[in-house]
Amino acid sequence: MNPLKIIIAREYLERVKRKSFIISTILMPLLMVGMMVTPALIAILSGPEERTIAVIDDSGVLAPTLQNDGEVTFRDFTGDLADAKANEDYDAILVIGADVVSNPQGNVALYTRGAPSMQTESYITSQLERTIEGLRIKAYNIENLAQIMDEVKVSLTLNTFRIDKEEESATSSMLSYALGMATMFILYMFILLYGQMVMTSIIEEKNNRVLELVVSSVKPTYLMMGKILGIGFVAITQILIWAVLLVACSIWLMPVLMNAAADSADPSFIQAMSQLGDTGFMVMLFGCLVLFLIGGYLFYSSIYAAIGSAVDNIQDASQLQTIAIVPIIIALVISTTVVNDPNSSLAVWCSIIPFTSPMVMMARLPFGIPGWETIVSLVVLYLSFIAMIWLSAKIYRVGIFMYGKKPSFAELIRWARYK
Amino acid sequence: MQNYVIFTEKARQIGMDNIIEVDKVSKAFTKHVALDEVSLQVPRGKVYGLLGPNGAGKTTLIRIINHITAPDSGMVTFDGHPLTAADVPNIGYLPEERGLYKKMKVGEQALFFARLKGMSKHDATAALKEWFERLEITSWWDKKVEELSKGMAQKVQFIVTVLHQPKLLIFDEPFSGFDPINANVLKREILHLRDQGATVIFSTHNMASVEELCDNITLINKSHNILTGPVADLRRRFSDNTYELGFEGDAEAVMAQIKPIVKKMDILGTDRDGVTRLKLALPAADASRELLATANACSMIRSFNQILPSMDEIFIRTVEESNSNSSQTPPAI
Repeated sequence: MNPLKIIIAREYLERVKRKSFIISTILMPLLMVGMMVTPALIAILSGPEERTIAVIDDSGVLAPTLQNDGEVTFRDFTGDLADAKANEDYDAILVIGADVVSNPQGNVALYTRGAPSMQTESYITSQLERTIEGLRIKAYNIENLAQIMDEVKVSLTLNTFRIDKEEESATSSMLSYALGMATMFILYMFILLYGQMVMTSIIEEKNNRVLELVVSSVKPTYLMMGKILGIGFVAITQILIWAVLLVACSIWLMPVLMNAAADSADPSFIQAMSQLGDTGFMVMLFGCLVLFLIGGYLFYSSIYAAIGSAVDNIQDASQLQTIAIVPIIIALVISTTVVNDPNSSLAVWCSIIPFTSPMVMMARLPFGIPGWETIVSLVVLYLSFIAMIWLSAKIYRVGIFMYGKKPSFAELIRWARYK
Repeated sequence: MQNYVIFTEKARQIGMDNIIEVDKVSKAFTKHVALDEVSLQVPRGKVYGLLGPNGAGKTTLIRIINHITAPDSGMVTFDGHPLTAADVPNIGYLPEERGLYKKMKVGEQALFFARLKGMSKHDATAALKEWFERLEITSWWDKKVEELSKGMAQKVQFIVTVLHQPKLLIFDEPFSGFDPINANVLKREILHLRDQGATVIFSTHNMASVEELCDNITLINKSHNILTGPVADLRRRFSDNTYELGFEGDAEAVMAQIKPIVKKMDILGTDRDGVTRLKLALPAADASRELLATANACSMIRSFNQILPSMDEIFIRTVEESNSNSSQTPPAI
């Protein structure tokens, strides 16, 4: 059997059999769901505290219209501001000027103890605005004006269609945004997590000198390739397990969501659901995710492998790691801006540069971009991987036998030139 | 023309007698030269000692022979042809710094290494079982490596090095971490492998084991080959006419008689039977006749033999000489 296969098999089985792999495979989706749900839960559970607000209304018309809700209670206050300030029963004092209806700007003030809450502020302003609007409309003395105004009001949702594709298809930029961000994050996580796994595993092998024994039977390059591919297969295994889980969940969840969509009056939600139900689109997206994931992982893990071979321990690796981490972070930042304008020239260029292309492309893909761009991006990425692994192998071959001094980036490049 | 044919024929024969020929191999790293035109020949079926102080370039040379690194210039011939990657399965190399995967089971791990050398799973399992029994470690098969002591792990490493029956075995400090009993077991196995036809290159700082095991040695210092030859020849060549004389009689009187003949004289002691032993340095080899005649006349000689220098002494002397006079050309034998 080919020694590369033996190394891949060892690397793969050692990891997949470990408890930590099984646990992380199960826990990660739970963690992701938790991360999405927790902020919403926190927002629901920790609404604004109850506040009592003293109202000093010099206009005499607004105070009676103010409505209390669960959090905010308004109380008329007779007396001046100084009295109200002295009264500890009130959390805030709302002072309304006499000619507020004709001249609202700068005529209303809120005095609070502690920082004012945004929600309370907007609650008060929206109420006052509505009342003043109503009062002003009434002042025109036109019959049924309030009713006319209501009829004039419009709420609009844009139905967006792509005309550059063969088939006009309904798209939802909201869903594209969500999908783009989600797949991009998955990619980011995998590249960082598994790339670093390659690095730490090489450092470990170097540290306990098992590497010396392995390279006495196989070429160092084989060991490096075997490690990268073995860990890559672990990543693919994990992603496939998640894909199966996701499909299982959606089979169970989709009918529910579809019903919800049918019942819902919100047209953007209906659009999003129909796009999610579009199997061809989802298969294309998943296929691209896997291709970019593999390409991005191979590219970055070769860099990580070279770094791992050059140092003796994780602490020493931190400095060299910036070579890999900085472009990953830059790609992350660019991806978050690219979703706002998927066809900008920044987006197109960053989709071709292999350091940023996997993540930027994943962020853009759900918006539907020309097929040739995807192909160019993939070809450049895989070619760069071949170049990078060639360079890394040259560094690795020398680095694994270097102990002691922490090498600089310049030294790594010099190693690559050794015979 | 005739001469030329005879010459090449002879060269081929000589070449075939050497499993490894290193010809003017150089290797430089950024800050230092590891090997500078080093040449040596390792005869087939012998134990060959590769000696030298720390940092002399031994490990680099071994890595070049093992096709792990490539030389900057020069040539390595293996079994009569230029060394290629295809020869690696015929070499078993036990590096000085060695470890095993801690989380893997001993048997599984030994199988992994055996299969890397190109053995089939079936053959490897059979051969491993045999070796495990031979070294009495069968009960370790399902233990994790992290449960083993250093010496135990070394035994496993030794087995995976020799398991695939390579033509050439390279051991770098094989006895470090072993107790004397296990070190002896290992020595026995190494000699046994040689008797079965394997050639052994043996790198160590333990000169006693060099005397015991090696047929030939090469001494490398500061990236140069400074001494090469069969151990027996070297010890004879480095002998400085030192003898040990044992006699019965009046020690004072005898010593007074032989004093003019010897260069230097040390009393080694007198035993219960009244035999006094002296260590004598003679000015020349033929002075031994005069010495024996003189001693014989005034005492009863019990023993007389030449003291050959130990490899330790040869090592130290040669390295110090080469350090003080680095322009010196390597002495050839």
